[in-house]
This record gives sequence, structure tokens and C-alpha cells, in this order.
Amino acid sequence: MIICDKVRKSYHAGNGQREVLKGIDLTVNRGERVALLGRNGAGKSTLIKQIGGVELPTSGRIIRKMSTSWPLGFSGGFQGSLTGYDNARFIARIYGTSYDNMRDFVEEFTELGGSLRMPVKTYSSGMRARLAFALSLGIEFDCYLIDEVILVGDQNFQRKCHDELFEKRGDRAMIIASHDMNTIRQSCSSGVVIHDGIATFYNNISEAIEIYDSL
Amino acid sequence: MASLRKGWNIQVRVIKALMIRELTTRFGRENIGFLWIMVEPLLFAVLVGLLWRAMKGPLEYGVDIITFVVSGYIPLVLFRSAVSRAVSSFTANGGLMYHRQVKILDLVLVRFLIELIGHMMAYLFIAIVLSVFGFFPWPYDLGYLMLGWFYYSIFTLAITLIVAPLSEMSEAVEKFIPVTTYLMVPFSGAFYLVGSLYPAAAAVVLYSPPVHGMEMMRYGIFGPSIDPQFNFLYPLTFSLPCMAVGLLLCRVVRKRLVVE
Repeated sequence: MIICDKVRKSYHAGNGQREVLKGIDLTVNRGERVALLGRNGAGKSTLIKQIGGVELPTSGRIIRKMSTSWPLGFSGGFQGSLTGYDNARFIARIYGTSYDNMRDFVEEFTELGGSLRMPVKTYSSGMRARLAFALSLGIEFDCYLIDEVILVGDQNFQRKCHDELFEKRGDRAMIIASHDMNTIRQSCSSGVVIHDGIATFYNNISEAIEIYDSL
Repeated sequence: MASLRKGWNIQVRVIKALMIRELTTRFGRENIGFLWIMVEPLLFAVLVGLLWRAMKGPLEYGVDIITFVVSGYIPLVLFRSAVSRAVSSFTANGGLMYHRQVKILDLVLVRFLIELIGHMMAYLFIAIVLSVFGFFPWPYDLGYLMLGWFYYSIFTLAITLIVAPLSEMSEAVEKFIPVTTYLMVPFSGAFYLVGSLYPAAAAVVLYSPPVHGMEMMRYGIFGPSIDPQFNFLYPLTFSLPCMAVGLLLCRVVRKRLVVE
């Protein structure tokens, strides 16, 4: 279970502060797949970063009672000057898993071949997305945090993601921020709409999408 | 107890992984690879040593001049490079915050450890080379030599723990660091023996904690003939509170850190 308890987050903006999250209360249970909906700049990524522990909330707390992945996106989670292999090695080391398994999985999942020997900064965003996904799927988490990244990549990649994430790991919790309502409707059971720094939870995903559309 | 051990294991694992990562990013795998970390201090110390040798002749304070200069200069270079590496280390490594087991302190600690290991390797290397030529004596008291290094490193670590978060809080700090570390030269004890200074000057430099460490190291190498002057307690009463303040500042900065 993940509980956000009155989470607030402000950033410096000029001389003042800009409050992006104004008291988010949210509970995500084991195995629950929640969509995070909101317009650009509403605070979806910010909330995901707080839940993943990348940044710390200005006030309020986040209680994690299951293992949570780092936010899966284009950046973060890996180092641009290192090669794909070196990144895999680093992740395997800090999460204490076997590098051999990790390498095999990354090679198979990303299909990047020789590019894995090149620095990640030379990758296209599609290649980055593949690597990011492979690295985090190489480690088993109870809850995956997914920030937009699912939409990039070609057909083949999307199908693979779908298999690995929604089929093989169908029992895991997920928090998915996306603007693609088709994916959301297919893969999420409930939704959260973020508007004006406040999150509203809807048990029914169709209802959440309706509210989001009317914003 | 079990969770404490688990935490410790994770910590060790993370520090190891971070060190390998930092070494690969900084030095790559080509040619001598991570051995580059000892090249810079080595060159610094040897060149300055030769300069002194050319200017002042073979002896200083009754001991070999190159050994004297090298034994003082390498720890000083350690201090300077550790502090300059600490500047902006959180921004540079912010991406690591994606992994929750990486703590902000690890970032400071890893950079410090890499500098420490590099400079100690350079020190050992040069000591062996010089001793082959009969310049570097077998240490009079190895224990004091190591204790001196310990005091010197603790001081350096304490300063990096303060500089790292401060450099994130204020641009000015970042700009002033290079000149400030340069001003540390006279207060590092690298180029003189406290016993040879005027009493008034000696009293002043003994307020500087690294001077005590340096005197211990020199005593450990050359023995009582150099009239070492140090205090066991004073440097710690400076360094330990500094560390505590540094830890607090790191906490504050972590809370405000914006990660892309």
C-alpha cells in the first residue's frame, strides 16, 4: 500500500514560491492500477517524483508499504555518459541483483544490440525508453511508477511493454501518468484527476476520464 | 539488529557501486584507467619537490627536502581537490536520487573516498620510490603517520560535508571556494614545521586543525628531531561539530533538491 498524506510541494519561482501540490491525499493498494490524469503542468510528474522518493515533499508524508520502482521516464534512473551495459551493471549492483540475469533481460527486451556499448546520451528517446523499461523490469517491484514513457517507441516495443507489464506482472500495482486515453482505459481500473494541486480519486476509470475531458 | 545489518549491507553495496560508477565516468577504461587518480597529486608533489630542491638545496629542517615537501604537499592537494570536488556534487549527481537506497550523504562520501584513496596511493607510491633512492626514511612511528592521516582526513571530510550543501544554497560560496582553498596553504602546515616558527606565529597556525595532523605525520616519518607540536583533542573539537553541522545542512538541501 502507498499512502500520500497531505502531500504539498512548492518550488522556488523568482522571489516567491509556487505551490504545485496543495495537499494530495491518495491511497494505492496492492495490485491496483491507477491512472494519473491532468493537464500539462498540473503536477502529475511532480506527484510521481514525490511518491518515488526522488524529491521530498515540502510537507506531508508518503508511506510506502510495498517496494516501489523509480519513476520510469526519459531521464533519470540512468547516467548519460555511461554505456547501456554500465548502467545495467550499476542498477544491478545497487539493487543487489545478479548482473548476468539483468544483462540477458536487457539485451532481449531492448533489442539494442551493439548500441548497448554506446553512451546513453547518444540514444534516441525511443531507445532510452526501451532501456529505462528494461532496467526497471529487470528488478521486481510491487509497484511501478510510469511517467508518460509508455507511449513512445514502435509497435513492437509497445507490445513487449504490454506483455511484460500488464500480462506477466498483472498482479502488481501501477501508477501511470499518461495522456493516451486508450491505453489508460485498457490498463487502469481507477483514476486520479489532478487539478489545481488537488487530487480527486475516482473508482471508475471512465468517470475519471470524463472529468478529465471536461477540464 | 538484523535490520541494522541489512541497512549496513545496502550501504556498503551502494557506496561500492557509486565508486565504480564515478571512477568509470571520470577516467574511463582506456589505458591506465582509474590509476589516473594518483597521477595528478603525484605530478604536483614531485614538481614542487624538485622546485624546492633546486631553490634550497638538499636539506630542510635537517631532513631530505623532497621527502619533506612531498609529505606536506600530497595531503594539501587532497584537501584542495576534495573540497573542489564537493562543490555542486548534488546537482551533478541529482539523477541518482531516482534510486531511494542512494542517500545524499553517499554522494559526498564517495567523492571524498575517491580523492582520499587516490592521494594515499600517490603518497605510498612516491614514498616507495623515494625510499629506493634512500631519501624517504622507514617511518619512525608508523602509528603516528597513520593517526596524522586520520586527523587530516577527518578535517577534510568535515569541510567537504559543509561545502557540498553550502555550494547548492549559494552561488557565492561556489565562486569563493577556489581562492579560499588556496588561502589554506599557510594553514595546512605543509611547508614548515611549527617548532621552527616564531612563537606568535606558531600559536596562530595551531588554531588550524590540519596543522596538528600534519605535525603528527611528520613526527611519524622523521621522529622527535623535528620537534612536533600537536594536540590530540583540539582538532576533533573542531572537526566533529563541523561534521554535525554539515549533516544538518545536507538534510536541508535534500529537502529542497530539485531533480530533473
